[in-house]
Amino acid sequence: MSTVEAVITSIQGLSASSGDLYALHDVLKGAVDSLRTDSELQLSTLDQLDPSKHSLGYLYLLDVLTYGPVSKEKVLLIARFINACDAVQIRLASEKFVSLCKRFKDKVLELRDPLLGVAPLLAAVRKVQVSTKRLTALHPDCLQLCLLAKCYKAGFSVLSDDILEVDQPREFYLYCYYGGMICIGLKRFQKALELLYNVVTAPMHIVNAIALEAYKKYILVTLIHSGQFSISLPKCASTTAKSSFKTWCTPYIEVGMRYNDGKISELEAVVVANSSDFEKDNNLGLVKQAVASLYKRNILRLTQKYLTLSLQDIANMVQLANAKEAEMRVLQMIQDGQIHALINQKDGMVRFLEDPEQYKTSEMIEIMDSVIQRTIGLSKNLIAMDESLSCDPLYLGKVGRERQRYDFGEDFDTVPQKFSM
Amino acid sequence: MDLSPVTDALAVKSFDKIADICDTLMLQVAAEGISFHDDWPYAIHLLGYFYLDDCDSARFLWKTIPASVKESKPEVAAAWRIGQKLWTRDYAGVHEAIRGFDWSQDAKDMVAAFSDVYTKRMFQLLLSAYSTITIRDLALFLGMAEDDATTCKLSFSEISSASSVLLWDNTRNVIA
Repeated sequence: MSTVEAVITSIQGLSASSGDLYALHDVLKGAVDSLRTDSELQLSTLDQLDPSKHSLGYLYLLDVLTYGPVSKEKVLLIARFINACDAVQIRLASEKFVSLCKRFKDKVLELRDPLLGVAPLLAAVRKVQVSTKRLTALHPDCLQLCLLAKCYKAGFSVLSDDILEVDQPREFYLYCYYGGMICIGLKRFQKALELLYNVVTAPMHIVNAIALEAYKKYILVTLIHSGQFSISLPKCASTTAKSSFKTWCTPYIEVGMRYNDGKISELEAVVVANSSDFEKDNNLGLVKQAVASLYKRNILRLTQKYLTLSLQDIANMVQLANAKEAEMRVLQMIQDGQIHALINQKDGMVRFLEDPEQYKTSEMIEIMDSVIQRTIGLSKNLIAMDESLSCDPLYLGKVGRERQRYDFGEDFDTVPQKFSM
Repeated sequence: MDLSPVTDALAVKSFDKIADICDTLMLQVAAEGISFHDDWPYAIHLLGYFYLDDCDSARFLWKTIPASVKESKPEVAAAWRIGQKLWTRDYAGVHEAIRGFDWSQDAKDMVAAFSDVYTKRMFQLLLSAYSTITIRDLALFLGMAEDDATTCKLSFSEISSASSVLLWDNTRNVIA
């Protein structure tokens, strides 16, 4: 019996129970080298196996078959396998599965058909993921395909879990960066900001390109979402980031500073002057959104100072062309729920109102309840992390070195200087 | 290519589910490597998004449609014209775009339903945003003739809150 036939028989025989699967896994690991050189192994050999029942064996054979150049036929076969395979069997050889999926993604990109890969990779992420809190190596690849295929809603479904455990920093950077871009596309700026914040404040010794691009988008999204630019990075950002980012992002910092001043014409001048830089970074669309948001920000500031205002006054203060344009802008802001106001066309006036939300409806209570539950869950995780960190030998070693030691026993309480001997 | 989930949904008039059904089906079909762009019901897909007021997804879908389909299928381009008006918030232009094309049998029901939903949405917006409005603008936003607009106002009152909007033009005030 040739190697291929022997392997097929083993797969067919040992795929039933978990004990058999461990034995099968050893057989497969041993047979990989000989399978690679065996010319008997063809695509048609896989017809003898069922991808959902013999997933582990199918995975190994498919991995060997796709080692060299990958044709479109093989790409489709991988796609069908990912959809049909059994998650339990796959997780026994998750690294192999991940590398197969990455090869699949690269080929899909080569074929310039990212849409082909979206559904398989979405399924692959769910199958290889041991818990929804753990980031897998496939998350960033899945998001990348969703971005290229413009399937933003599908990509967002991957982002809805709270990720708490990460293996590789690079995967995490990419996950947050691509995730931020997906949220920007869906106009969910709050979540985009959270994800980009994670990249910008991540620990790093040298500046990396992902963090830099994330910082540029972070500035623009902060302007759109909260309308305030702060030139200093958040306190928890690394010293590398604090010292180096600004030098690489000067056009964006300038946009931020002009935005703070609030004058549309100056902001637009800066945008025009640096438009080639923004275009090179593929950020021109986002910059334009930021400029549009300044009109809204200025109108919003007016609501804090005035109870009623004429449309012509609004147009003058916000540098709009005429009263009709002011009316349309106010109407759009009311439609988006950004302000509450009543337009009086008869007198050409706008009356600004308080937010009518009284937080009494059952939907609002459900939202508040789910937010509270989520906060409780997160704080439990935080306490658990804190406890495990305080037992960590590396951490204790570092903290111990920095404390003053006294000759009296093991008491490390802060003793005033004059009592030391 | 099996488009039965879409046609079934159209038949029972669950227009709000069309967008999701189309999205999932498109991902499945693409993963099978079938070249589907020429036969895909893009016009219905776009209308599904408009029905849910999801202009962003419609825009992204439009960007992925190949140029050959855009040129050879006038209905798809006509559906997108509605999207352009929605995107630029040309409130009156949406109605013109809806009326400015002879829709196919498959799309007619959906367009009519969307037009209905859109008019109701506009009406709610006007009710919450205006204390007085000219009859001319009211007619423009709701896509009706001026007389129809005033009578329609009264029949919409069951979905509006108790607040009243003063209709105003040069010659008369109408309180409804």
